[in-house]
Amino acid sequence: MALIELRDINKTYNNGQPLHVLKGINLDIERGEFVSIMGASGSGKSTLLNILGILDNYDTGTYHLAGKLIKDLSESQAADYRNRMIGFIFQSFNLIGFKTAVENVELPLFYQGVPRKKRHEMAMEYLEKLGLTQWAKHFPNEMSGGQRQRVAIARALITKPEIILADEPTGALDSKTSVEVMQLLKQLNKEEGITIIVVTHESGVANETNKIIHIKDGIIGQIEENESHSAWDGTMMK
Amino acid sequence: MRDLLNEIWNSVRNNKLRTALTGFAVSWGIFLLICLLGAGNGIINAFQGSSDRFVTNSMDIMGGRTSLPANGYKEGRWINLDKGDLDIIKGKEFQGKVDKVAPVTSGVSDKMALGVKTVSTSMRGVTPQYLEIEKIQMDKGRFINPLDVDQRRKVVVLSTKHERELDRNLVGKWVSMQGISFRVIGIYHSDESDWRTSAYIPYSTMKGIFKPGEEIDDIYITFNGVSNLDENLELESTISSRLKAHHEAHPDDPNAIWIWNRYTQNAEISQGQRLISIGMWILGILTLISGIVGVSNIMLISVKERTHEFGIRKAIGAKPGKILSLIIAESVSITAFFGYVGMGIGMLACEIMDKTLGQRSMNLGFDTIKMMDNPTVGLDVALEATLLLIVAGTLAGLIPAWKAAKVKPIEALRAE
Repeated sequence: MALIELRDINKTYNNGQPLHVLKGINLDIERGEFVSIMGASGSGKSTLLNILGILDNYDTGTYHLAGKLIKDLSESQAADYRNRMIGFIFQSFNLIGFKTAVENVELPLFYQGVPRKKRHEMAMEYLEKLGLTQWAKHFPNEMSGGQRQRVAIARALITKPEIILADEPTGALDSKTSVEVMQLLKQLNKEEGITIIVVTHESGVANETNKIIHIKDGIIGQIEENESHSAWDGTMMK
Repeated sequence: MRDLLNEIWNSVRNNKLRTALTGFAVSWGIFLLICLLGAGNGIINAFQGSSDRFVTNSMDIMGGRTSLPANGYKEGRWINLDKGDLDIIKGKEFQGKVDKVAPVTSGVSDKMALGVKTVSTSMRGVTPQYLEIEKIQMDKGRFINPLDVDQRRKVVVLSTKHERELDRNLVGKWVSMQGISFRVIGIYHSDESDWRTSAYIPYSTMKGIFKPGEEIDDIYITFNGVSNLDENLELESTISSRLKAHHEAHPDDPNAIWIWNRYTQNAEISQGQRLISIGMWILGILTLISGIVGVSNIMLISVKERTHEFGIRKAIGAKPGKILSLIIAESVSITAFFGYVGMGIGMLACEIMDKTLGQRSMNLGFDTIKMMDNPTVGLDVALEATLLLIVAGTLAGLIPAWKAAKVKPIEALRAE
């Protein structure tokens, strides 16, 4: 069984006019894959990501994550699954402004009930891995965009999740830092075997991943194998 | 626990203005409540102090001036109490009801001299029963005794005020009033009111020297076995009509005989105290409600401001209960801390009130009472009020906290 198994997922928003956003999504993602979901805005890629991240629910179909059926969960259950199985990387970093880098990284472990000392040690370990040791005591607004995103990545990694979901991870970064962040994700996938799903509308970002899933008008279109990273001319566009 | 405190400290430190505003609302509410209750207690205590000066089951009976013609007399006749009245009150009819009876004759105000020092005072001729009826506290020496009355001794009981003005050690010394020397046998305690500054001499001495004749100015009585207001009023009217009959006044004349009934007066004072107390609590509770609304308002704003933060927390695995308890713990810590600050300041203000208004007296014409007596609140009331505010603040914070816990993570993340 695949790590992620989506079967005929449908989602309709009912804000005045009913809006059928996802029209029967079928998708398998295996453990250790590095894939991107590409689509224009309004294509349903963000909704799909929210469902994958258990931030939103779906109307019909089934979603299995690591063999568990993710459906009709209570808020607490959903929070627990998110905490243990999913690491998030957001476009706007979503760090808590009044907490230092190390406190931000510790937070998922706090919600797991890990003791303070252990938590702190692990957070420092991950910050070291991402080359941020000397920034541990700094607040997010004292760091550059790239550094903030690396703190966010450390926070996503600390619970050793099944998958990393990255929503436009380079959207708020300049092109040089974007390359660095993508290289980092690539390296994490290659060396640690972490499953990573990147949602983007930039073909340059998508080209860095090993598989590109195109989504259009709420259905999966073409799925490109991209092991050679040659879907486009190989450079990231900005 | 330490993590929770840390979280609270972090958010307090990073939201100084909000914390200060919440804190101010809470402190102010508690401060006003404590001040109001303190002032209320002060006024109540002052009234209490004034009625404590008398035995409440007592009456002061005086003669008046008739307002109705009767038995061939015209109206406007002065009624003087006499020995006949004393006999009626002490007689069979009132036996078992009337307990102690004390006739009093007042003398004119005049100078009292000790050597070259003089002080102006009034004189009252009294019997030993007067001590108990009027709750006189002896500081030194003794009060008038039956022997003094029998032998018409020239002895006098003076007040601490006299003592202050004349001599530290008055007991045993001789003072002169209207040219006659009296030996001081005792000093009684005079309070701040001007009510008691009389010089008390034996009733018989007063009659024999200064006020010969049958006339009695006041008859003080205490009564027994009169347990409720109705029985008391009945006793009062029976005495009144018997004395009116004795003086041949019209039975319905309201002015012939004056009776100052301390029992009914006390009942009225108690009623007044109850009303003041209820009024203060109503005002206090209204103030508290405004404090509560303030807290809940600021908590709502706080929660709205932090929606995005809660979204992040939820996305990385915070359960709704964790968010709920975080907000409530924060609101409880803030309200408790500032509640106690307000309580402390309030109690301080009460102490200041005690030192200023508490020392001032108010002249009511017939009596002088302190404006406030001990205008403070018991620690129990203060703690209860603070506890109430914390509970209410928590309840007020519960709705915003519930809202924050309920909001979906994607919606919360979208909020900025």
